[in-house]
Amino acid sequence: MLRREFMKLAVAAGLGLSGSGLALAADMPAPFDKPEDVKIALVRYLSTGDFFQSYLSGVEKQAEALGVDLRVLDSRQDAALQADMVDQAIALGVDGIIIQHGLTESMKPAAQRAVEAGIKVVAFDVNVENDAIPQVEQSDYLLGKLALEQAIKDNGDSFTAGYVYVPGIAPLDRRDVAWKEVKEANVGIKEAAMFGTLDNPIANSVANQARSVLQANPTISVVFAPYDEFAKGVKIAVDEAGLSQDIKIYSADVSTADISAMREPDSAWAATVATNPAVVGEVSVRTLALMLAGENPGKQVIVPPTLITQDFLNEQDVKNMSDLGEKMPQFQHADVSTAEWIPLPKR
Amino acid sequence: MNSNDTSRSALELAIRYGFIVLLCGLAVFFSIYASGFASARSAVFIFQSVAITGILALGVTCTLVVGGFDLSIGSVATSALMLSAYTMVILEQSAFVAVVVCLAMGALVGLINGLLIVKMRVPDLLATLGMMFLLIGLQRIPTQGNSIATGMNLPDGSVAEGTFSAAFLWLGRHRFDLFLDRLLPVPVVVFLLIALIIWLFLGYTRHGRLMYAIGSNERAAGLVGTNVHRYKIVAYMISGMLASVGGILLAARLGRGDIASGNNLLLDSVAAALIGFAVLGAARPNAFGTAAGALFVGILLQGLTMMNAPYYMQDFVKGAVLVAALVFTFYLSSRRGGRRTA
Repeated sequence: MLRREFMKLAVAAGLGLSGSGLALAADMPAPFDKPEDVKIALVRYLSTGDFFQSYLSGVEKQAEALGVDLRVLDSRQDAALQADMVDQAIALGVDGIIIQHGLTESMKPAAQRAVEAGIKVVAFDVNVENDAIPQVEQSDYLLGKLALEQAIKDNGDSFTAGYVYVPGIAPLDRRDVAWKEVKEANVGIKEAAMFGTLDNPIANSVANQARSVLQANPTISVVFAPYDEFAKGVKIAVDEAGLSQDIKIYSADVSTADISAMREPDSAWAATVATNPAVVGEVSVRTLALMLAGENPGKQVIVPPTLITQDFLNEQDVKNMSDLGEKMPQFQHADVSTAEWIPLPKR
Repeated sequence: MNSNDTSRSALELAIRYGFIVLLCGLAVFFSIYASGFASARSAVFIFQSVAITGILALGVTCTLVVGGFDLSIGSVATSALMLSAYTMVILEQSAFVAVVVCLAMGALVGLINGLLIVKMRVPDLLATLGMMFLLIGLQRIPTQGNSIATGMNLPDGSVAEGTFSAAFLWLGRHRFDLFLDRLLPVPVVVFLLIALIIWLFLGYTRHGRLMYAIGSNERAAGLVGTNVHRYKIVAYMISGMLASVGGILLAARLGRGDIASGNNLLLDSVAAALIGFAVLGAARPNAFGTAAGALFVGILLQGLTMMNAPYYMQDFVKGAVLVAALVFTFYLSSRRGGRRTA
């Protein structure tokens, strides 16, 4: 009697287990029930630098978690070649394409050709002016906005500021919108100098400029440098001028090197706002997966940024990017473009 | 005849001192119009901003002297930047080891450049262009394209524990006291020392004069018994090592191993060396001119930055100065009695 009950239980448990196992595989919608047959391509415009390296690793990890076959085509800042690479991907017979950066003019027709060939396309940080193609974005506007809100919280709403900006670079232009708004809303904020350059090594060139600017404008107490290479350069200049107690730097983006620079004793670098590029990479792949499975991810997929202050890094003893991910879960994973059936990459 | 003489000597004066006068004029102009320009600290950071490109430019000067050209200096500098970071942060070696390794790398690259040009008969521009691409790629292979910083995750999953040692950072950040406390940064001292050494070497030693001889007529120099090949290789090795010095100072200032192509370093230093042709009417590569040329660009850029000029203005001005300098060198000097038309 007892034994029979036991047997029943065991069988039920066994069935339940195998049942749930079956359910898991069955839950994967087509074409992900056979993920090894799904081929996707990442067509890149920009690839050099920590941000793009990290983005790629995110794409690779999410593709691996899904079990799909990923091809990476890298045009290395050649707009014409990037368009050719989309055609190449079409010829390869891929199911989906992620376009990473690029120029609207060259990518618009190429993206249209891919859509016409029945391929699902996702664009990251490039507007290809196509209703069938969702845009994945890290919100550069919010990035700038959050950093400036922190600056006002720390320094009050009237201070003399230096601003690092190079016009004509799309993400910097979007961050510039936030700066203009904040300046307009707070009459007490005075922009004493605007400078900036993308001559590389960028940090070194910006440091040279910042030295002159700080010398010419001794009243500057806040520097808004919405790109981490800029902030690094300004910090070098501030240190060299011996002003690290008197000036605060607010920036965007983060890397392991930035974390150690922010945590140096008496560092002028007060806060940065960042989206984890690896997370943006993962979101790009998930968005494409949703489309391949016939779901609608929406027209715009925005990955929200996170504010990282010097105090937080010191309190939590954050040493590098993986520490940051552990201490700040919202930095490690964005709840964007997710679905029950999409496995997340292993942490 | 008399008036001809005076116009001739006026031209002579213009060629000889025109550039120096322009340099002083600029300094006066910025002192009046850019607040904060006229101060000892300002002067020092102008030197600081040109120290690294200046050192690279002195290397280019050495190759220009023997009638060659080195396009690889920018990437040698950024390779040294990465290599020093790699040696200290990932291999956890001392500052001394890092410096020695970088200098050896620079010398080796120079040696390979020289051998390619002398033994394999590859034209200098092409050989060093090839080397430039090779190094831009090579410096990224060990870290898979990532910048190097303490605490970074290594491919095998561990964390890089090494740090930039204090002695190494000293090279980029320490300042010597001179009249004012903490005034003179190490890179400036290194730049001035190297400029002095190269100036003495090229102008006042037998070796330097033979190098000039090779540059103006390689065959003639060879016929009188100069070991042309050896001198050419040595010129590229000097260039490589100086580029490495530049890279080391850059790493010490930045405090991390940033990936960068170094193309801007190359262009700026070549510009400085070419502007140097015009200084004192030399009409040929020379160390004093190169240092003055680098300084000239530095004064312009810092002054313009203080006056809030945007970055494209600066590129424009740099180009205009270079064109003016080249006119000085090639047109005016050729009118001076055809001493050399190059």
